[in-house]
Amino acid sequence: MTAQQPGVQADDDLVYRRICTLLEPLNQKGVKLHRDIDLVADLEVDSVSVLDIVMDIEDYYDISIPVNTISETKTIGQLVDAIHAIKGQQS
Amino acid sequence: MSLFDKFEKTAALYNQLSEMGKNPFTVVMEEVLGPTRAMIKGRETVLAGTHNYLGQTFEPKAIAAAKEALDNEGTGTTGSRFANGTFAGHKRLERDIADFLGMKHCVVFSTGYVANLGAIAGLIDPSEDAVLVDADCHACIYDACSLSGAETIRFRHNDPDSLDKRLSRLDPKFKGKLVCIEGMYSMYGDTAPVKEFVEVAHRHGAMLLVDEAHSFGVYGKTGKGVAEAEGVMDKIDFYTGTFSKALAAIGGFVASNHPQAEYLRFSSRPYKFTASPSPATIASAGAALKNIKETPAIREALWANAERLHAALTQFGLRLASGPAPVISVLLPTKEEAFAAWNFLLDQGVYVNMAIPPGTPGKDSLLRLAVSSAHTGDDIDQLVAAYGAMAEAFQAARVTA
Repeated sequence: MTAQQPGVQADDDLVYRRICTLLEPLNQKGVKLHRDIDLVADLEVDSVSVLDIVMDIEDYYDISIPVNTISETKTIGQLVDAIHAIKGQQS
Repeated sequence: MSLFDKFEKTAALYNQLSEMGKNPFTVVMEEVLGPTRAMIKGRETVLAGTHNYLGQTFEPKAIAAAKEALDNEGTGTTGSRFANGTFAGHKRLERDIADFLGMKHCVVFSTGYVANLGAIAGLIDPSEDAVLVDADCHACIYDACSLSGAETIRFRHNDPDSLDKRLSRLDPKFKGKLVCIEGMYSMYGDTAPVKEFVEVAHRHGAMLLVDEAHSFGVYGKTGKGVAEAEGVMDKIDFYTGTFSKALAAIGGFVASNHPQAEYLRFSSRPYKFTASPSPATIASAGAALKNIKETPAIREALWANAERLHAALTQFGLRLASGPAPVISVLLPTKEEAFAAWNFLLDQGVYVNMAIPPGTPGKDSLLRLAVSSAHTGDDIDQLVAAYGAMAEAFQAARVTA
């Protein structure tokens, strides 16, 4: 799988790693990524960019993640957990 | 004070731009001189940042109709469409719009924003329906989804296959499915493959709503919109539009061939709980509609101006978002460059819109020029000269940058 990226804390979860890979180009300030990082407050990623990342995840895993779910998540960890929950339901 | 804390960062940027005299979001038109000219910062300026596509803001027949309605029916309805604010004029305009579009039913709302809120939230029951929305749909469609409370799935912009995939994997528990797209998208001036979307939506038993806010009166052989240009006017389930662009008033509507669209009059809270458009507004919108219907030359003039401007900007090497359209957007890589270029144009006596992410489809910022049929030869010359100078001054705006 993807090699550990610099700045990403060790985490074996593949969904988590995939999200970190997608976030890397948007991580302008080089913030060290971990599950408690707030996408908007810490990474300054705008709401539409979050939706675009989620679209990539949807197509990768062939699942649909409602906008409603995304608007309820603030941190990387919450997003990972939400995707796991949907993967469990839809696959 | 905690309510305000979250705004501090944005407020700092906003105030800083205002102090530098570089704030595109605080422009005041001090005096309006005509459909394409106004005084801005004490200077006569060409307006290419309003959505006066068909130049109807000073149409004499529309002004006369509005004055007559003011004299005969007063300044306001003081009531909502549902309860106490429906006059004969509102009903007449609904019939006129339905006739123009060749659709059976039409419901008039107070603004275009409210029409989308009213249509989507009025149709959807969050306990059994789902909404699928193009990624680049306008904020009002997303707000409508929030208001409806329904499960909302976003698909890739202008990508029927992406919609197809999402409809295929949708939980069968959903009884009703509504797909929302736009005719022309206002940021890039690109249009939807409506015909393909009709096919995909209907194959999955979903209904299709097309918001033609920017394309009503502008696209199609008779100005019915992108759905007409795509030959599928009779296939779309809901058509939403606004009076605030081609018709140069304020208000909005939902048109449909489904007789049950009339149910929106009691199912739609944005129909029931806000005041109806004033009599003068309804009268001018009706007169403008009649005028653009009877005068195809207005639409032809818009397209001639759009093509001339698009050709000129292309020749300057500017990086444009799409082909010739009533919206011509120049892409710039950063918001700082967009601010500077926007100010440069304003200093040349040209007013356009500036848009920055996340209000834009991609990572670029853009300068949006909205063409009008009322732009005169002089207006166009001034626009071309200003953009030519901008192309010289801003390498970043050019394809070859």
